Amino acid sequence: MSRKVILLVEDNRDDEELALIAFQKSNLANEVVVVRDGEEALDYLFATGPYASRNPEVLPQVVLLDLKLPKIDGLEVLQRIRGEPRLRRLPVVILTSSREEQDLMESYDLGANSYVRKPVDFADFVEAVRNLQLYWLVLNEPPPQLENGP
Amino acid sequence: MRAFAQSIVETVRHPLLILDLDLRVSSANRPFFQTFQVKPEETEGRLVFDLGEGQWDIASLRELLQRVADRNHPFEEVEVRHQFPRIGLKVMLLSGRAIFHEDRTPMILLAIEDVTERRQAQAEQRLLNARLEAMVRQRTAQLESSNKEMEAFCYSVSHDLRAPLRAIDGFSQELLHNYSHCLDETGQHYLRRVRAASQRMAELIDDLLQLSRLSRGEMRRQRVDLSGLAAAVVAELTRRDPDRQVEVVIEPNLAAWGDPNLLRVVLENLLENAWKFTSKKEQAHIAFRMAEKPIAESQATESQATGSQKAEGQAAFLVRDNGAGFDMRYVDKLFGAFQRLHKETEYPGTGIGLATVQRILHRHGGRVWAEGTLNQGATFYFTLPEGADT
Repeated sequence: MSRKVILLVEDNRDDEELALIAFQKSNLANEVVVVRDGEEALDYLFATGPYASRNPEVLPQVVLLDLKLPKIDGLEVLQRIRGEPRLRRLPVVILTSSREEQDLMESYDLGANSYVRKPVDFADFVEAVRNLQLYWLVLNEPPPQLENGP
Repeated sequence: MRAFAQSIVETVRHPLLILDLDLRVSSANRPFFQTFQVKPEETEGRLVFDLGEGQWDIASLRELLQRVADRNHPFEEVEVRHQFPRIGLKVMLLSGRAIFHEDRTPMILLAIEDVTERRQAQAEQRLLNARLEAMVRQRTAQLESSNKEMEAFCYSVSHDLRAPLRAIDGFSQELLHNYSHCLDETGQHYLRRVRAASQRMAELIDDLLQLSRLSRGEMRRQRVDLSGLAAAVVAELTRRDPDRQVEVVIEPNLAAWGDPNLLRVVLENLLENAWKFTSKKEQAHIAFRMAEKPIAESQATESQATGSQKAEGQAAFLVRDNGAGFDMRYVDKLFGAFQRLHKETEYPGTGIGLATVQRILHRHGGRVWAEGTLNQGATFYFTLPEGADT
């Protein structure tokens, strides 16, 4: 059995805490790994830098990616993920405040699996996170290479 | 006959010279003497190149005249710039051709057009144009850069202002859910007020962004079926609010020329307003039709002057309801962003709808104005370029 890890890429501490509350509320037992900028996200996925000792074959079940991030922004992170054969099929969900159409289009163009706008209403946010988790961790059949967990 | 030819030469306002084939001056007219400040006695019978201390000794002219004299080759409007010792720089258009004297002696007619001033004016014009173009380029660059700044600003508003609101709402809700035992009824009430305020601010941000997007985006121009759009909007309102008793009359076949998405926003706002402000009426009536009212009559109540637009090629429409109406004393405030004429508790809304309507209609070259009576209803008139069937 694979451990169902969610990688949350979020630089805003409030949003991070709220997302963790939302995950808790949905009653699905997942490990949530939080990284706080684009560079750290890539370090985690490529097992480099502070994550050099991580087994790079173990991938998260889904990446929740904010767009506006320090150092390397979300779109570039997405581009780097899709440019790596090992990560090409990794489910990436853009989770952002932006409702600019351009962000939405670019995200899909770069190969995002889904685009979720963070609602201001917390109840809606909890609902959105619950649906995300349900879809990506329970209903969605992951690509074959992701099933080779430890 | 000599007198006849001479009188023609005298009548022409351009300087003229008649030369024999040796290029000696046979005669000259008064404009020649005036323009080049020479006297008849120092002109006639002399070689053209010796005139006025040799000031006509111009190499290019020598060649041109020689060609007429030797080979009968005429020349026309050859531009010659020459610095004259007495009168300064002159730009001349020279034309020369062979003519025959009454006694059949071949002669040469040299016509001189002084275009110095015209050329100066043209040069100044060119300079002026170049300066203007440079200025336009500079302004355009400034506009483009301020547009970019505006876009960056809107992006930042959209993204950054929302995040703290989410935190305010989220943590308030967590307090209400998990810590209600530590809070009395008043404390919980305050938290609910905090949540409501954060959600209201989120709506305001969204509306503000929409308003700014409307003024930025590209506009399509096509024939738009307004009656069809209005019917779709009303169908949606009815679906959302099935219990309301509203009689809506839409005149068929109304069309205009414009952007279908933007015109939909106009009708949505006007019809939603009519729907909302009739909510306290037992039998609500809403109408959308062509306005028969002459446009000039209502100019006094127009929201904002847009210059004296002609009604030609413009169609006028109205949306009328029998709802809450408004006091005509406040008509000027109707179209301002975030201006409201009714209490939020009575009729909810952010007060941006009519500002949006106005912005869209102005972008189409149309106008909007309103009439109302408190508690009896309101009529919104608007004009748009006609959507002719042809």
